[in-house]
Amino acid sequence: MIGGTAKLKTDRLTAYYGANPAIKDISLEFPERKVTAIIGPSGCGKSTFIRCLNRMHETQPKTKVEGKVLLDGEDIYTEDPVRVRRRIGMVFQKPNPFVTMSIYNNVSVALRFNGHHPRDYVDAAVIRSLKQAALWDEVKDRVDHPATSLSGGQQQRLCIARALAAQPEVLLMDEPCSALDPLATAKIEELIGQLKQDYTVVIVTHNLQQAARVADFTAFFYLGGLVEFGPTETLFERPREKLTESYITGRFG
Amino acid sequence: MSPEQPPGPRARPSYDLEIQHLKDRAAAMGEWSLGMVHDGWIAFEASDLEAAQKVLDRGAGLDGLDDDMEHAAIAFMVLRQPTAVDLRTAAALLKSTTHLDRIGRLGFDMARITTPGSGEDSADLRRLLEQMDTIVEGMVRQSIDAMSHDRVDLARQLFRQDDQVDSMHREANRKILEQLGRAPAKSQRLANDLLVARHFERIADNACKVGEKTIYAITGQRRSEYLPRHSVVPYVLETRPKSGTGGR
Repeated sequence: MIGGTAKLKTDRLTAYYGANPAIKDISLEFPERKVTAIIGPSGCGKSTFIRCLNRMHETQPKTKVEGKVLLDGEDIYTEDPVRVRRRIGMVFQKPNPFVTMSIYNNVSVALRFNGHHPRDYVDAAVIRSLKQAALWDEVKDRVDHPATSLSGGQQQRLCIARALAAQPEVLLMDEPCSALDPLATAKIEELIGQLKQDYTVVIVTHNLQQAARVADFTAFFYLGGLVEFGPTETLFERPREKLTESYITGRFG
Repeated sequence: MSPEQPPGPRARPSYDLEIQHLKDRAAAMGEWSLGMVHDGWIAFEASDLEAAQKVLDRGAGLDGLDDDMEHAAIAFMVLRQPTAVDLRTAAALLKSTTHLDRIGRLGFDMARITTPGSGEDSADLRRLLEQMDTIVEGMVRQSIDAMSHDRVDLARQLFRQDDQVDSMHREANRKILEQLGRAPAKSQRLANDLLVARHFERIADNACKVGEKTIYAITGQRRSEYLPRHSVVPYVLETRPKSGTGGR
């Protein structure tokens, strides 16, 4: 294990769309309470891979997964997928708040899916989640306002708060800043740095500089395969593989 | 997945051009510094105050080249956000120019201590200092070539030459101290000779640093990975000269 205890681990993971493998034989370990970035050119399988990590891939038709994804040593593909997604939360490329709901309900809905809780408990969880998502100070006086009243960056942080409300152990982020402006991106990146104190974070990004800024470890994918994995600083300064070097120096992509 | 690096040019050809421009700037600065060392030594050796003044007048030009290089390298890093070999190259060039600046400064310092009245050195001391000059100027030239043309082999050769210069520096010190005892009237000139010998030794060290940065830029290896540092003791405690160890 390259960086301490592995919270999440894939073992020869292969994922198919129909008969075509989008990722092949990926074995990778995600260190606990660290941020791991997955980079690579379009079509290299980054998003497919991250969607396998909480069984989102199988929600699409004609898909199949082989190999294992181990959370604390247990294969998530032998567990209830809903429970898996509670333990491994996900934030998507575009902010996707529930548009008909208030800010408060967007966060509390995660708890409602997990059973009935007393109002005090829900209130505390909403506040905690909004604080963790660095959004509380901006919305505390208007939590009953529609989620759509928030800016794009705020909506993305609301989605992060929603994911955190279920108290996951791992947070997956699939290009969480690609639809945001630089200021909103900076806030999310700052937030990711804080979240790793409590969560294991996996982020897919097209933005190499973002990976360099936020990630402790980085994995480079190419044509559905894992080319290189290591500490971010090393990968961006002294990559082992020529292919990695060619990609990060802009010789292809 | 293909294990081969996919063919094709860099997505931004202008990027390579910018890196080349950075190298050209650093090389131009190296040439300027080398010229100051060459002419500074000539002025000192010939006790030629007019020639010395011309070297001193080039100090401002060196400052300007250093500032320009720093600006260009920082702008490249900010605007291009380089990674891997490109990042290492930019960082190495930035650091190399600091060493090239120091080399030029040492040529400046030789010009600065030039005094009238030539021919005061003994023949063997003069010959030794001339040999040191020949070697260190060659080292500076070689470090510039290594940096400009990505030549790891040239850079690696510098470390052994540096040991040779260190050894000559010690020999020069010994000769100068002997002569000081015999001819105290020449103390001013001999003190300056001591400084010049020291300046040559420092120039060689700085040329090696340029070589180290070049190796880092190309291979990613830091000095400790290919040239382990040996323990260093005071000169008087050394029993035999070390060779090829680069023990600065």
